[in-house]
Amino acid sequence: MRAINNNQQSTTHPPKWADRFLQWYCRPDLLEEIQGDAHELFYRTAKANQKKAKLHFVWNVFRFFRLKNIRRPHSTYSPQYTIMFKSYLLTGMRSALRHRTTAIINILGLSLGVGVTIAVFIFAEYFWNLNLFHINHDRIYQVISHVKGSGELQKWGDSPFLLGPALKADHPAVETMVRVEMSEGAVRHNEIVLNESIWFVDAEFLNMFSFPILKGNTEALKTKENIVLTKPIAEKYFGTSDPLGQALSVKFDNGTKQEFVVGGVIDVTDNSGMYPSVLLSMEKFEDLKFNDSYNWTDLTDATFLLLKPGHSSTEVAQTMEKYITLQNASSPEWLIEGFEFIALTTLSQHSNEIVSAIAFGAHPSAILSLLIIAILLLLLACFNYMNVSVATVATRLKEIGIRKVVGGNRKEIIQQFLTENFLMCIFSLVVGGLLAYLLFLPGFNSLYPFTISLATISKSKLVTFLIGLLVFIGLISGAYPALYVSSFMPIRILRGREKFGQRGLFSRVLLTLQFVIAFMTIVASFVFIDNSLYLKNKDWGYDHQRNMVVPVANKEQFLKLRDKIIHKKEIEQLAGSVSHVGVQNPRISFDYHEQRFPTVAYKVGFEYLETMNFRLKEGRFFIKEIQSDLSESVIVSESFVEKMNWKEPLKESFEYDRVKRYVIGVVYDFHYNGFYNPVSPVMFTIANEDDFRFLALRTTQGNVENTEAYLKQSWKEIAPDDPYEGFLQDAVFEDFHRDNNANITLLSFISSSAIILACLGLFGLVSFNITRRLKEFSVRKVFGANLLHIFRLMNRDYIWIVLIAFFIGAPSGFYLINYLIQHIYPDPQAARPQPFLIAIGLMIITVAITVGSQLRRVAKESPSVTLKIE
Amino acid sequence: MKGDYLGELEELILLTVGILHPKAYGVGIMDEIEKQAGRSLNISAVHSVLTRLEEKGHLKSKMGDPTEERGGRRKRIFLLTAAGKRTLEEANELRNQLYSQIPKVALQFNPLAVGC
Repeated sequence: MRAINNNQQSTTHPPKWADRFLQWYCRPDLLEEIQGDAHELFYRTAKANQKKAKLHFVWNVFRFFRLKNIRRPHSTYSPQYTIMFKSYLLTGMRSALRHRTTAIINILGLSLGVGVTIAVFIFAEYFWNLNLFHINHDRIYQVISHVKGSGELQKWGDSPFLLGPALKADHPAVETMVRVEMSEGAVRHNEIVLNESIWFVDAEFLNMFSFPILKGNTEALKTKENIVLTKPIAEKYFGTSDPLGQALSVKFDNGTKQEFVVGGVIDVTDNSGMYPSVLLSMEKFEDLKFNDSYNWTDLTDATFLLLKPGHSSTEVAQTMEKYITLQNASSPEWLIEGFEFIALTTLSQHSNEIVSAIAFGAHPSAILSLLIIAILLLLLACFNYMNVSVATVATRLKEIGIRKVVGGNRKEIIQQFLTENFLMCIFSLVVGGLLAYLLFLPGFNSLYPFTISLATISKSKLVTFLIGLLVFIGLISGAYPALYVSSFMPIRILRGREKFGQRGLFSRVLLTLQFVIAFMTIVASFVFIDNSLYLKNKDWGYDHQRNMVVPVANKEQFLKLRDKIIHKKEIEQLAGSVSHVGVQNPRISFDYHEQRFPTVAYKVGFEYLETMNFRLKEGRFFIKEIQSDLSESVIVSESFVEKMNWKEPLKESFEYDRVKRYVIGVVYDFHYNGFYNPVSPVMFTIANEDDFRFLALRTTQGNVENTEAYLKQSWKEIAPDDPYEGFLQDAVFEDFHRDNNANITLLSFISSSAIILACLGLFGLVSFNITRRLKEFSVRKVFGANLLHIFRLMNRDYIWIVLIAFFIGAPSGFYLINYLIQHIYPDPQAARPQPFLIAIGLMIITVAITVGSQLRRVAKESPSVTLKIE
Repeated sequence: MKGDYLGELEELILLTVGILHPKAYGVGIMDEIEKQAGRSLNISAVHSVLTRLEEKGHLKSKMGDPTEERGGRRKRIFLLTAAGKRTLEEANELRNQLYSQIPKVALQFNPLAVGC
């Protein structure tokens, strides 16, 4: 019965929330009539239809929500408010000026945290927005092949050459398709000859993608004699003169040389994840006949589809079965499990999963770890600020007491402290923004091979972020002090009963938390730096310091160059090869006992392994005089033997390229391109001179530079048509080392920021507490305490906090960073105690210095002065 | 003279306030307009017009007695001011004056004229 009654009762009332909403927003002087009318209408309708009445009521409440009816702040306006506001500002400024050091420390610390956060936000935003400038970005997909090559599934950027045209012909949802075929060629204009990477693309490329067109138009690639250049390439060949209509010749890989006319210049903006440099039409590619004809065995480097509006990639994905069958029937060595359509919007984020990807971006875990670090630093700065402001407030207890006595309520005190705090935060935000803009972003840009410009970031997002950040730091750093301070009873304050400050549990917990975060950041950075330093000097598995390599176009060039330089006494040894370690690492797979084994296979000339200083573990290197070496001998690496599970490798053989290969030697493992990948099985076979594409050589000690000069000069005589492209073997790891060094610099910066932040906070707190305990110390001094004694007394608290924080922070920082390191590097250094020792040592020293510097005040101050005040 | 200008809805509501004298208030006005002119207005629209008219000086208001159907809330009763009355009269006069000037022929139904 009761339930029914209740039910009836509640249904005959307008919805409570709507009524409350009305009461909340409505101007008090209008509320009665508006609410009255709304209610009258409700009860009238409710007699017929309760549901309808409720809906109407809500509708009316929202219709009444007009500017005219809304309660406005100045309706409760009183001049008192502005006066109070002025007073808040004035007392706030006075107290900040009185404790100048503390205030500056506060603002600086907060600015540092804010600056890092802003910079990291812009950094992440940049990478999340790559490729979004293309007008059709939400309709473009790249076809990715899932290939089960060597046991595990791999995603390849390559797709069948014929797939694109087939899809366009078969599927109504596909508007256009564009394939990209990557190649290389020597581009020549008068005297300038340089090797450029060339993309053959379908004619629609410039329509599908929205690279800004500086010269020419989107139709440029429809004429196959046209060549389209990017801005830097055009400037390289033509300087400031107009490139449009100029002639260029290109000598392709297969030796053919063709004339082209510049049909357009495009700009590859900073926010592009793809980096074309020279574009030619796909028609030209087919004309050039790299293959006699194209069938399903041929792959192209990328296929892009532009879907019609309103269609999704799943529609197309469902019809892929027949192409998979076609593809797999024609090329059993490259079996495709399926196709995936990755949207252009996320292509750059996936680049690390895709083999031979066309679009690049930052590793998602790199962005994530930077974000985590930024948040940690920001929290550190906020706690810092909070801690110091709670301490500072102690001197203002009397002010609060008086305010309360003369009629200020708690809300007003909270308002006062929050206002002050927000002002400080705005100031920090400005300084932090300047730091980010003038220091951190240029720093990022100089460290890594990309340019982040503010122009690519959406302004509205940035503004939203900054406002959010302001509210966040304003509340995190200001809420507690304001609530805490406002809770005191005036009578206790004014009687001087309120004990406050350094003995508070909360402020100790905060300080500990602050040091925990600092230790986390510092230990994490140090462990990472330690590993990076280790990798910097890590052995590659072969000596490379005196090695050089020159790519050659054909056998003729190879022989000419060899004959030219072979007698030079600075050159210790030289050899030819088809693929060169670190530059071209061909992956192949072969069958052995009915199992497929993937490996990297180099085809090299005699003496190549000796020239490159590979270290023989057992057996022997190739010997020219032994006939069989030319055709059926193979040298494998340590991990190759391991993978094959051979006990006595020198007695083993396997079939590859339809020839039975006998193992004659085993070399120690080596890294061929950076330490991002684990060492993998490698094999060497002898190749014919006809196929040589590289000339590798080793110089004698101390003759690297002049040999290089000599090589350059010789090259000009041998091949005036081709650019000299020789390089030191060191360059193979150049990218890796550049990234590695950049990481070291970045993390050093982060860890020093963490130290600075932690110490700034400590400094503020200690200097504060000393001021408060000056009298106590003076009394102690009078009674004969020496400085050491006082130093110990002051440090006791902080050393404990540092130690506790270390035991919480250091392990957690270590586990986090170790996870990341394992994720990035397959073969990292084992954890060492050094980073931990350095971290704790550094911290204890800085804490001691911070506290010690304050001690000077105690030492200088004569007890008679400090004690005289009252 | 912008302030004196009366919108169509304003005129309608001003007239209704006169009709309902001395019991004109929000919901009542809304109902009366629906009954007489067949136009269903939202209550918030009525309110905003009433406030506007009051600001222009055509109406004055006072709080009425509390009623039970409104949950014990009072009505705001609207009354015409002298200025409001005059504006209504002027509007009426102007309309009549204009209407009387229309030639009779124009008001007669003439199918040929439509054809031209």
